[in-house]
Amino acid sequence: MSAPAPVAPAIELSDVTKTYGSGALAFQALKGIDMRVEAGEFVMLIGPSGSGKTTLLSILGCVLSPTTGTAAIFGEALHGRRESELPRLRLEYIGFIFQGHNLMSALTAEQNVAVPLELRGYSHHAALVEAREVLTSVGLGDKFKKRPEELSGGQRQRVAVARAIAGRPPLILADEPTASLDAESGMQVTQLLKALCTERGHTVICVTHDSRIYHLADRKIFLEDGRIVPEDQAH
Amino acid sequence: MKRPAMAQPVLTQASFFGRVRTMAAIGIRMMFFDRLKLAGTLFGVVFAVLLGNFQAGTFLALLGKNRMFVENAQVDVWITPPGTRQFQGGKPLTDSQLNRARATAGVAWAEPLVVQTAALQLPSGGSEPVSLVGTRRPRFVGGPWNLVRGDTRSLLVPNGVIFEDSEREKLGGLNLGTLRELAGHKVQAVGFTWGLLPFAPAYAFAEQELAREILKVAPDKHTFIMVGVEPGVPATVVRARLQDALEDTRVMTRDEYMKEILTYIITATQIGLSFGLSTFMGVLVGMITVALSMFSSVIDNMRQFGTLKAIGSRTVDLALLLFTQAIIYGVLGSIIGLGAVAGMVEGMRNPQLTPVLLPEAFAITAVAMVGVCLAASLLALVRLIRIEPAMVFR
Repeated sequence: MSAPAPVAPAIELSDVTKTYGSGALAFQALKGIDMRVEAGEFVMLIGPSGSGKTTLLSILGCVLSPTTGTAAIFGEALHGRRESELPRLRLEYIGFIFQGHNLMSALTAEQNVAVPLELRGYSHHAALVEAREVLTSVGLGDKFKKRPEELSGGQRQRVAVARAIAGRPPLILADEPTASLDAESGMQVTQLLKALCTERGHTVICVTHDSRIYHLADRKIFLEDGRIVPEDQAH
Repeated sequence: MKRPAMAQPVLTQASFFGRVRTMAAIGIRMMFFDRLKLAGTLFGVVFAVLLGNFQAGTFLALLGKNRMFVENAQVDVWITPPGTRQFQGGKPLTDSQLNRARATAGVAWAEPLVVQTAALQLPSGGSEPVSLVGTRRPRFVGGPWNLVRGDTRSLLVPNGVIFEDSEREKLGGLNLGTLRELAGHKVQAVGFTWGLLPFAPAYAFAEQELAREILKVAPDKHTFIMVGVEPGVPATVVRARLQDALEDTRVMTRDEYMKEILTYIITATQIGLSFGLSTFMGVLVGMITVALSMFSSVIDNMRQFGTLKAIGSRTVDLALLLFTQAIIYGVLGSIIGLGAVAGMVEGMRNPQLTPVLLPEAFAITAVAMVGVCLAASLLALVRLIRIEPAMVFR
C-alpha cells in the first residue's frame, strides 16, 4: 500500500525574517516573507542580486534558521529547531541542485548520485542500481563511470539533477541551475528538471534570474530587497 | 491530465555502520584521487616510521652492545663490586667472598670471572686493545659464544686465545694458529667469535689461569663472581641471601643487571635523551606533515565537504571520513616505512652496529602511526566542523 499524499502544503512561510549580524552592523536580508507552495508546484524564485533569494533558499533548505516568523515544509516546522536535527530534515525532504553542480571530483557519476541514497539507508548495491536508473532518465545512461572532469558542463549539471531527484525527495531546491551553462544547455537542463519533476511528483523551487526559462514555471515569485513583490512591480 | 503521485519524505536513514561504509568509501576515493597529496602525506608517515625505527633500533643495538655479556653468559646471579651499574669491573672481589657465595643456601655453583683490557702487539709494531675475559675450566661460564671457528675446548690449548672474527684485520691479520704477544705474553689464536664488540675493545677469551698471567691479576682477586642457582630455587631469593651475606658487593639477578644497564644508559648518559629526542622529532615531523596535508585537503575540497553537509551528512559522518583517511595513511605509511627500515637494516648488517628491528616493532609502529595520524586529522576536523552547509548557496 502506498503512503497517502501529504495534506500539508509543501512550503508555508509566515512573516519570516532573517537578520545577519547584530547592532549597528545588522543586516536584514528577509523582511517578513509570507509564502505558500503546494505540493507538485514548479516555482521560480526571481530577483536581482542581494534581493534575499539565496537566504530564502537556505531557510527552505534547512541550512539556515529564520530569525523570526514560522516556516514549515510538508508540515514540519523549521523554526526553533536544534541544528543537529536539520541534517535529518534535509535527507528526508530535500534534493539540492547547486549553481556550480558541486559534484565530488573523486567520485564517478553513479557514485555521486548514490551518496545521498546511501545516507538515506539504501544498501550500496541498491543505491547504485537507483543511481543508474536516474542517470539514464537524465540521458546519461552511458556515463555511469565518468568522473565530473570527464563530463561537459551540461552533463555535470544533469548528474547534479540526478543526485537531487534520486530517492524521490518531495522537495527539490535548485540554486540558479543554469548559471554556469550556455543558453542551450541551460534550457535543456531546466526542461529536463521540469519534465522529471512533473513525472515524479516533486515540488521544485528554482532560484534564477535567467528570463529565458521563466515560461517553464507554474508560478513565479519575485523578490526585491528582502520582500515578495507583485510581478508588475518587480524590476 | 492525471497528476502523478507526489514524492514522499524518505523516512529511512542509514545505520551507523552504513554511514561508516559510505564515508570510508568516499574518504578512500578522495585520497587516491589526489595522488600527489597521497604521496606527500605518505612520505611524512614513512619518514616518521623510518626515523623512529632507525633511532629506536640503533638505541637497542647500543644497549645490546652494553649488556651482551650479561645477556649471553649462562648466569643466574651476578656478584659485582659495589656501585656497579654496567658491565665494568671496579674494586676487585675476593676469594673469601667467592667462598661465602658457594656456602650460601640455594647456590649450585659460583665461578670467578676476570675481565680487563690488554694490548695485543701488532706485526706493524703498534698495538690494539682487547677486553680479555678469563673463564674457568671445566665449566667455562662466561666463556665465548657465537663461535665461528674453534670451540670452547680450544681454550685448553696452551696459550690459546679466542679472538673476534670481525677484528681480525684490525688485530694484524689473525688466523687460526697465528702467534701474537698479548700484554707481553705469547698467545695463539685458537678460535673466533662473531659480533662480540661491546663499547669497550672487542672481547677475547682465555682460560682463567692464562688470563690472570697475562693481566697480572692475583688468583684470589676477581672482577665478578657468577652464580648458578639450584633447580627450583628462585634467583631473586638466592640474590637476597647473597646480598645479606656479602655486604661490600652489589648482587643482581641476570634480569636485574640487564635492567640496571638500561637504566644507567638512559639516566646517566645522554644516549637515551639524544635518541629519544630524534625519534620524537621524526614522529613530530610526520605528524605535522599529515596534519597539514589533511588540513589542506579539507581547504581544497571545502565546497565538496559543504555539499556533503548540505545533502544530509552530519559532522560525525565527515569525522568518519577523515578518520578513515588517517587510519589508511597510518597503516600504509607503516607498511612502506617498515619495509624500507627492514631493507636498510639488512643492507647494513655488520658486527659493529646493526640496528635491532624487533618483531614487536611492526605492531607498535602501525598502532603508533595510526594514533599519530588520527591526532593529526583533528586539525582538519576542526576546520571541517566550522564549514557551514549554507556556504554551498553562496
